[in-house]
Amino acid sequence: MTQNMDNKPQVMRESKNKIRVDFERTSLKERLKEKYLSSYFAKNVLWYIFRILLLIGIAFVILKPFYTIVMRSFMAGENFADVTVVNVPRAFSAIIYKSIIIDLDYFKVFFSTLALSLGCALLQTFSCALIGYGLAKFKFRGAKAVFFLVILSLAIPHGTMQSAIFYRFQHMDIFGIFNFLAGGARTGIEGIDGILSKIKILPENFVGGISTIRSVVPILLLSATGLAFKNGLYIFLLRQFFRGVPDELEESAYLDGANTFRTFVQVILPLSIPMLITVFLFSFCWQWTDDFYIPLFFTGQPPAFMTYLTKIDEIPITLATIYTQVTHSSGMYKKAIVYGCGLMTCAPLIILYLFCQRYLVQGIERSGIVG
Amino acid sequence: MTNQVKASAVATPKKKKKIPSLDRKKSRAGWLFVLPFLIGLVFIYFPILWESFSYSFYNYTTVKGIVTKEFAGFQHYTSAFTGDAAFAQALLTGLKEMAFDIPAILIFSLFVAVILNQKMIGRAAFRAIFFLPVIVSTGVMESVMSSSYGASGDQMDLGMEDGEEAVEELATSTALEALLISIFQNLGFGTGLVTYISSAVASISGIINRSGVQILIFLAALQSISPAIYESCQIDGATSWETFWKITFPMVSPMILVNAVYTIIDSFTTDSNSVMQLINNTYMGVTATAKSVSAAMGWMYFLVVLAIVGIVAGIFSMYVFYQRRD
Repeated sequence: MTQNMDNKPQVMRESKNKIRVDFERTSLKERLKEKYLSSYFAKNVLWYIFRILLLIGIAFVILKPFYTIVMRSFMAGENFADVTVVNVPRAFSAIIYKSIIIDLDYFKVFFSTLALSLGCALLQTFSCALIGYGLAKFKFRGAKAVFFLVILSLAIPHGTMQSAIFYRFQHMDIFGIFNFLAGGARTGIEGIDGILSKIKILPENFVGGISTIRSVVPILLLSATGLAFKNGLYIFLLRQFFRGVPDELEESAYLDGANTFRTFVQVILPLSIPMLITVFLFSFCWQWTDDFYIPLFFTGQPPAFMTYLTKIDEIPITLATIYTQVTHSSGMYKKAIVYGCGLMTCAPLIILYLFCQRYLVQGIERSGIVG
Repeated sequence: MTNQVKASAVATPKKKKKIPSLDRKKSRAGWLFVLPFLIGLVFIYFPILWESFSYSFYNYTTVKGIVTKEFAGFQHYTSAFTGDAAFAQALLTGLKEMAFDIPAILIFSLFVAVILNQKMIGRAAFRAIFFLPVIVSTGVMESVMSSSYGASGDQMDLGMEDGEEAVEELATSTALEALLISIFQNLGFGTGLVTYISSAVASISGIINRSGVQILIFLAALQSISPAIYESCQIDGATSWETFWKITFPMVSPMILVNAVYTIIDSFTTDSNSVMQLINNTYMGVTATAKSVSAAMGWMYFLVVLAIVGIVAGIFSMYVFYQRRD
């Protein structure tokens, strides 16, 4: 750049509105030197290398378990007895997968989990969007209190209230009304109790409320009311998102005669699709791998859900003979089976993620989450 | 505000008195929108809280399907501490774990978010990989994933040679760690800092797997900073280091608060937390009061969590910078 100043460019006027400038350009060598031998460039290159190494390192830490799981689950039985085989199988075998699909009835498990997760995720996304929109766009007395309760519901670990949650859904009731109508209410005073027990509007099994245990009702109820796993987080994210949507959009919809709900469904929801997909992805995946609510609500009889796939107690029939052959390292083999189950559990999620992941960043990016 | 008033005036010029104002309509609509949550709170959540609360104060005995309860006062609370010393111990360990985890996760996720926000080749691929744990390493998969990481336990199973190899590997890694520690100590860093960093490096996979949501939130915050601010900084000759501390850091500070609160809640409520494990184990116990004691533990634990969230939020919010719009 500085050299240019020495040999001044010559400006000539060719015609009325056309000028011609002649100047000597610095040689290519000089220009390359300027560009690549500066401390600025060196610093950039160093930072670039450091950054890429770091990112590759972190990516390695994340992907390593997947590598181990995939490799181990494809090993043939005899590889486990071979001490020279660690992670790369010498003999490939897909028998573990065959056994998972046939013995463990994978497709049945898959479809029942799919139905449950889809239902829950849709309910959660919609109800959290409703709640988040209500908190973001409407000023009403108590809005702050409601938001505080949302955060509180996120902060109280459900794990510490297992017995209460179980009890609540085992004796599902609305302020004892069902119990009262079925004649199960008691006050401790004999005369009144006698009258109360004669009320038989509802059948006998309504005494003490309805049991919703061993069905999907509790999970769906929790989802519909925005109280399921980490729904507080979704409500928070959606609230932040809706706060970034300009008010003018709604105002113009109101002017056109739409009510608030119609505005929400026809104007707000379509423009928040990336964010909704983000929330849907979270809720779907977290419901898919859920190992708290399903074991809690389905005590005793394990139903066909993904949750139980990795918790095998018995060796599947197809693998039984191989399992007895690898006595020396049967623990390893069992682990490999668990890995296979794990991979089969999360494979659908990974496929879904590959399709949705660009919305994941997009949705959050557009949320204007700051402020 | 004035626009809204005008809007209602335009929409209903004559029947102004009969139809409620737009503001009132909107506040009513607000209640309608949060109605699902309120129904859930009243019919499901508060009863559950109340149930759990009364579990911790009563003795429940079931005889032939009839449940009788008997007030027990603070008996379960004291027995949580005295009955088995593990609770106080676990609570302390949990707090220590948290004091360790939260700075590590926050610093790591902010750093990664800053890097992922820069333009480079393969950024989309790295982003996709970094958010993978958010989707996959949860629930049942958490244990499967963690058991496959490193898999040093398996190598012991494999036989002598590999066992020796694993021991050797372990030895070299600790030797390397010791070397690093001594180098940094000679450079004049405090012992506390050095041991903190070395143990953070040792548990890096846990930290990475747990900071996905935080990275996402930080990334969103970084995206929302106007590039014009960076441009003007560059023109004024600020280095990138200065720009980070003077612009980026204050601008993302509200999200540091959010992430700190989220991380605390998350690390307290995961099943791998030592206190949560103890509470679950107590719940599974066979004694008649097991459920009551576990509920009592849960309530005490929850109060501790709330207190810590309150303290951290209080401290952070003193330093948070909110950009004034317009």
